[in-house]
Amino acid sequence: MVYQFTTAAEAVGATVKQFSGMSGVVRYLQEVSGGEKVAFSHLPEEYAELHEIFPPVPPTEYPQVGFCLSVAQAGIAGTGSLLLDLSNTEERSATALAPIHLVLLKKSTILPDLRAAAPLLQSALTAGKSGYLSITTGPSRTADIERVLTIGVHGPKELHILILEGA
Amino acid sequence: MGKSEIQQKINNSYLRRALKNFAAAYPVARAKALEGIDFEELRSRISTGKRALLKRLPEFVAEFTRNAELAGATVHLCRTRDDANRTIHRIMQEQGATFLVKSKAMTSEEIELNHYLEQQGIRCLETDLGEWIIQLAGERPSHMVLPAIHKNKEEVAELFSKATGKELPADIPILVRAAREKLRSGFLTGQVGLSGGNVAIADSGAIGIMTNEGNARLVTTLPRTHIALIGVEKIVPDLAAALDVMEILPKNATGQKITSYVSFIKGPTGGEGRELHIVLLDNGRMALAGDPVFSEALTCVRCGACANVCPIYEIVGGHVFGHIYVGGIGLVITPFLHGFDKAEDILKLCIGCRKCNEVCASKIDIEGLIVDLRDRIRKPTGQKFLFGTLMKNRKLFHAALRAAYLAQKPFQGEGGRIRHLPLVLNSDVGGKSLPPIAEKPYRDLVKAAGERLEAKGERLKEKGKREKVLFFTGCLADFVFPEICRDAQESLELLGYEVSFPQNQLCCGIPARYSGEMEVARDMARLNTDVLLAEDADYVVTICPTCTVSLKHDFPKLLESEPAYHAKALKLAEKVFNYSELAAKRLGSGEWGVGSGEIRETVTYHDACHLRRGCGVYQEPRRVLTELAGVEVVEMTDCDKCCGFGGSYSFKFPEISAEVLKNKKEKIRETGVATVAVDCPGCKMQIEGGLETDGSSIKVEHSATLVARRLRK
Repeated sequence: MVYQFTTAAEAVGATVKQFSGMSGVVRYLQEVSGGEKVAFSHLPEEYAELHEIFPPVPPTEYPQVGFCLSVAQAGIAGTGSLLLDLSNTEERSATALAPIHLVLLKKSTILPDLRAAAPLLQSALTAGKSGYLSITTGPSRTADIERVLTIGVHGPKELHILILEGA
Repeated sequence: MGKSEIQQKINNSYLRRALKNFAAAYPVARAKALEGIDFEELRSRISTGKRALLKRLPEFVAEFTRNAELAGATVHLCRTRDDANRTIHRIMQEQGATFLVKSKAMTSEEIELNHYLEQQGIRCLETDLGEWIIQLAGERPSHMVLPAIHKNKEEVAELFSKATGKELPADIPILVRAAREKLRSGFLTGQVGLSGGNVAIADSGAIGIMTNEGNARLVTTLPRTHIALIGVEKIVPDLAAALDVMEILPKNATGQKITSYVSFIKGPTGGEGRELHIVLLDNGRMALAGDPVFSEALTCVRCGACANVCPIYEIVGGHVFGHIYVGGIGLVITPFLHGFDKAEDILKLCIGCRKCNEVCASKIDIEGLIVDLRDRIRKPTGQKFLFGTLMKNRKLFHAALRAAYLAQKPFQGEGGRIRHLPLVLNSDVGGKSLPPIAEKPYRDLVKAAGERLEAKGERLKEKGKREKVLFFTGCLADFVFPEICRDAQESLELLGYEVSFPQNQLCCGIPARYSGEMEVARDMARLNTDVLLAEDADYVVTICPTCTVSLKHDFPKLLESEPAYHAKALKLAEKVFNYSELAAKRLGSGEWGVGSGEIRETVTYHDACHLRRGCGVYQEPRRVLTELAGVEVVEMTDCDKCCGFGGSYSFKFPEISAEVLKNKKEKIRETGVATVAVDCPGCKMQIEGGLETDGSSIKVEHSATLVARRLRK
């Protein structure tokens, strides 16, 4: 399923990397961001170490920031999609504004297709009073001029998916 | 929509190329996206679910409203366009806002929101790239999913240069980057964001939005107030139904498996000061939902596939083929959302090929609804005499056709074909020559095909032991192509049927029905039903698929409200077969084999719209050709795409018909064959006339002619 996920995600222009542990992830993040600021907020407890490596970015700086990091709830193998809970407005702004979007995805959370993700969507939709869920597939794209596919319009120009094995 | 506007679109070489390329690329992309999906099952489920929902629409509106408000949203049900415009303006005023930043919403085009708000001193900014292009150009979308498909990159460069104050080259990546930079400030400073919505989920109160560019996420996130303007028919009961729509939509719209972003928004997020207003737009929909015939139109998911496959849209584009909503479904919903006066002209533009029905994501009988609408908006015209008096009276109609034989004589050219018609008629016949009306119609030649054959030494099975077939020729074949009638009758006799021709048969009624003369069509249905049931026969055979559709499918529908006639029509329908279907019943008996040692001629087969999509018949003709006519069939690209005839369509819109025909001829030539086989005299007339005008030596033959030729040997 990881193979299917990777193939589908790469077919729509995402970059997919696999890591056996957090150290590899940190190295990759540092390498890609080249020391520039990475916007993120509300990372689950298990990723707390990232807060120490990447200093917090105030939301007012999001429009200028080059990178954004988030954690996916699940992956969808058939389409190479990510299910993201973006109910937090700051996190949502970061993922919509940054030119490069980096997403952590646990290998164990990859599901075969959209249907298989339905229970997860349903519980997320009924859990809180309000919420904002996003299924993200590849970077932002348009074909509005002469039907020529162009990557990176208003949203991210690059989507990097970091699959964590054994997690 | 006038003749000059149509001509202007036809002459627009960029538009033509863009639409032609799209028409060629779309089916390939769509098929790939639909791999592994049971399209029929999925669309049937969507159709059934949506139809059931429409019956109880007010209940679902209430459920959605309750749940969305529990989540903290405010729901406004707006009955009219004005109501929606005023509501949105009021929300803006309450925020003290003067700048609205927007992602794509067809509903906003429908209510002409920008126009309204700008009059109130509010600035509106479209951020979907296509919508921004047309906003800058001051135009309306020419496609529901690709709004600026009619604009080329040079035009876009000019518009963007003006908007950004920079000289931009006609280079697409540079233009996209310029739009990103320019519109970014709009997202950051827009005080209120407006989006559309693809679904509104009743049991959770959430809305779902599908986009590719990422602008909808910005519009629904950065401004503290988000207004979602959604047609009330977009409500679905639950997430499962929402996912069905979201599954089919991108595949059918652009051939994508899924869009880059699928967002589910339930209530406002982000705490204090954040607002979500959901404006549910009625604008005629609630009334339409109660319409026994046309409510079906509201099951549309707005994928635009009906435009993508439409041979007429491919020629003229959405500025002609539609009003605000374009394509086949645009024609259907325009009268209900924008008034019948806006719809009258555009409804005539449909050629009736039913290609849209084949791909519709919610299985709407788009073509059928267009035909029914013509009846509803029908106004008294000069056609009254033609349909009301002439065609119903068999003797009068046939006498007129005989007189026409004499009248045409001065205009016949070499080989008897007509290239120029007198007076007003000669202005345009759609790029084709026309065959003359025959000196003697088949009805005068019909007697004793069997005797004729036996005189030639053919041995037929004994009379009374053969299955009896009544031959319904259709007017065109009867009066213009009597030789096809002869070939059909003789070949069927040689295949062991006993064929007779009821002299009292009259026009099948389709020309009247398609012109909105439903009462006349009903009269014809009754008269023909009686004529064809008067004799006890096993089958009724037609050689014109339009007649087949009429006799087999339309008669029972037309006579539905008259129990006695309805039962008769159903009885008749069971007996009606197209020529190829009836001939195909003799396949595999071994009696009429392919034979051996013959040089097999190569033909290409053109599927008539009414046979392929009207009757679902496309395998039998190919088998009849290979196994009974002994020819080899080489398939052409788009073999089932309309030839541009459409009965009277080719005379009403000769300029469009000629362009559709041009595409067909191109595909025929690509195959390199010398003969095109068809099962429809109309297609034969159209394609043959077009090829003849080009000086081509390619022949067009009815299957019956090819079968008869071989069986007579």
